[in-house]
Amino acid sequence: MADLKMLDASDRELSSPYMMWYRFSRNSSAVIGTLILLSVVIFAVFAPYLTPFPKHVGAVVDFRARHMAPDWIHWFGTDKAGRDIFSRTVFGLRISLLLVIGVLGISVPVGTVLGLIAGYFGGWSERLISGLTNVMLAMPPLVMALAVSNLLEPNLMNAMIAITLLWWTWHARLIYAVSKSIASEDYIEAARLAGAGPIHILFREILPNCIPVLSVKTTLDAAFVILFGATLSFLGFGVKPPIPDLGSMVADGRQFIPDYWWEVLCPGAALLYTTLGFNLLGDGLRDMFDVES
Amino acid sequence: MQQHPFVAILTRLGTFVLVMIALSIMIFVLARVVPGDPARMALGPAATPEQVNVLRSQMGLDQPLAMQYLDYVDKALRGDLGMSLVSQRPVTTDLAQTVPATLELVLVSVIFMFAVAIPLGVLIAHYRDRAVDHIGRLLSLTGVTIPSFLFAITLQLLAARYLTNWPIIGRLDHGLNWSGGPTGLLLIDGLLTGRPDVSLNALQHLILPAFALSMAGIGQITRITRSAMIENQRKDHVLTLKSFGVPERVIIFSYLLKLSSIAPLTIMGLEFASLIGNAFVIEMIFAWGGFASYGLNAVLQKDLNAVTAVVLVAGLFFIVANLIVDVLVTIIDPRLRRKEAR
Repeated sequence: MADLKMLDASDRELSSPYMMWYRFSRNSSAVIGTLILLSVVIFAVFAPYLTPFPKHVGAVVDFRARHMAPDWIHWFGTDKAGRDIFSRTVFGLRISLLLVIGVLGISVPVGTVLGLIAGYFGGWSERLISGLTNVMLAMPPLVMALAVSNLLEPNLMNAMIAITLLWWTWHARLIYAVSKSIASEDYIEAARLAGAGPIHILFREILPNCIPVLSVKTTLDAAFVILFGATLSFLGFGVKPPIPDLGSMVADGRQFIPDYWWEVLCPGAALLYTTLGFNLLGDGLRDMFDVES
Repeated sequence: MQQHPFVAILTRLGTFVLVMIALSIMIFVLARVVPGDPARMALGPAATPEQVNVLRSQMGLDQPLAMQYLDYVDKALRGDLGMSLVSQRPVTTDLAQTVPATLELVLVSVIFMFAVAIPLGVLIAHYRDRAVDHIGRLLSLTGVTIPSFLFAITLQLLAARYLTNWPIIGRLDHGLNWSGGPTGLLLIDGLLTGRPDVSLNALQHLILPAFALSMAGIGQITRITRSAMIENQRKDHVLTLKSFGVPERVIIFSYLLKLSSIAPLTIMGLEFASLIGNAFVIEMIFAWGGFASYGLNAVLQKDLNAVTAVVLVAGLFFIVANLIVDVLVTIIDPRLRRKEAR
């Protein structure tokens, strides 16, 4: 009885949109993270209109302007071919975000559904998920991604496939743990007795309870996917030139340090700015939902 | 039911053996379904089809996959991981030369992680919600967030600017006239063979890459230590100590620290996979010539035996690290040591 009363009063109020907004606005890391990400998304989406030299994304060469230090025209300086690094960096953000959407857009739904199934039904699906994730844990993800993307053909598409192949297991493991703990709750039993089918129980009863954990994990993962993709392309397994990608821009600039430091540090800073945004938002969400990591 | 810790560790060992088997099957199958023909790659475009076929049957590539795998395991257990196509030497010889370099780098990084992160975590937990805490948290978040290649290059850049004589690539200076030692770990070999100058020089070379490699772990462990310290402060036995007037210093160092080092240790074990991954980048940037550089090269050259071996050794690294963590946690945590079921 006491449980019912509590549910009635505090929980509903706490989860009302107004309360959520209040808790969000009081959480400085969530707010700062969101602002950072908003700016990143705006720059990435409107890149052709917000950059001074959108043509420099292609194979443009202007040797008179090569290796110029940052100034008012070239905010981040220019690279070895005289291209504006700021413009290229902003376009590079597009690749990073595309990678996030591609990888998480597949691995989150797949991992969630499989995790739900394994947690609710148990049995062989349970053993399969825990077995697979144990193997994946022992596998340095970068080594695996290198192996996969190179056995195919080293490009962005295959890098994405490689990352996705690895990533879904983490979500499956997480959702599996949550849904297993929920599956034995009374209200699930009640729903079953009331004649609800497995689809209804999985997606209408269990899934909503996974949303807090899932949103925190997905946000933090976005940062990891970006880091991961940048590392792959830094090692030469990313997009093909002249398409700008933050990781390969850092790799290109590396030949010219310490003299032309901006060619490394400016794209690098953009990378750090983006991943910091995701991490701040993830940390903030974790505090808001009070989720254990 | 609580198991005896020895039994628990044996069970873990069993799981790890299964994981190794699954891992080896996975990488083996993956390496054998390569679109490119490894025999053709090894011989180059000038080879005739007959030569390629001879090499294929020499390498056993014409056998069924399951047979190839069993053959591989059989040989691997007897210490034969096949020939490297690129170096034309047994893979085990290549590994024996390159693994110590990576091992030394990784071990020093792990020491850095704990030496920096645990005190920092304790400090910022003590000054919770004050300026020190905010700065420390921002720094540790940056550590988690920064790409390791960016941090490594930045370190090199700074060293090149401000420490002009500090070595920024390689493991040793060339002029040292060093012929190698028994373990391959330069820090130890130098001392064993009475060449402290070699150890010192190796240490100088180690500091930057080890720091770069440990940065992500430092950030992660600092965060975990901080939250463990804060959470454990609320535990009953700590509150009891406080109410008895036990000095804060004693509480922190004799009671809280031990309890709060369990979570960071466990995380450290799991972080090991990404540590090995990052070693690929760090070794490339610092021209380290270790096992990770060897692996990167093997992947680029599609050197099948070498790639398979590198993945297996990386998995082994992870498993051994986690076994050590399990043992350490059992030693630290008295609750796990108690035999009787609770």
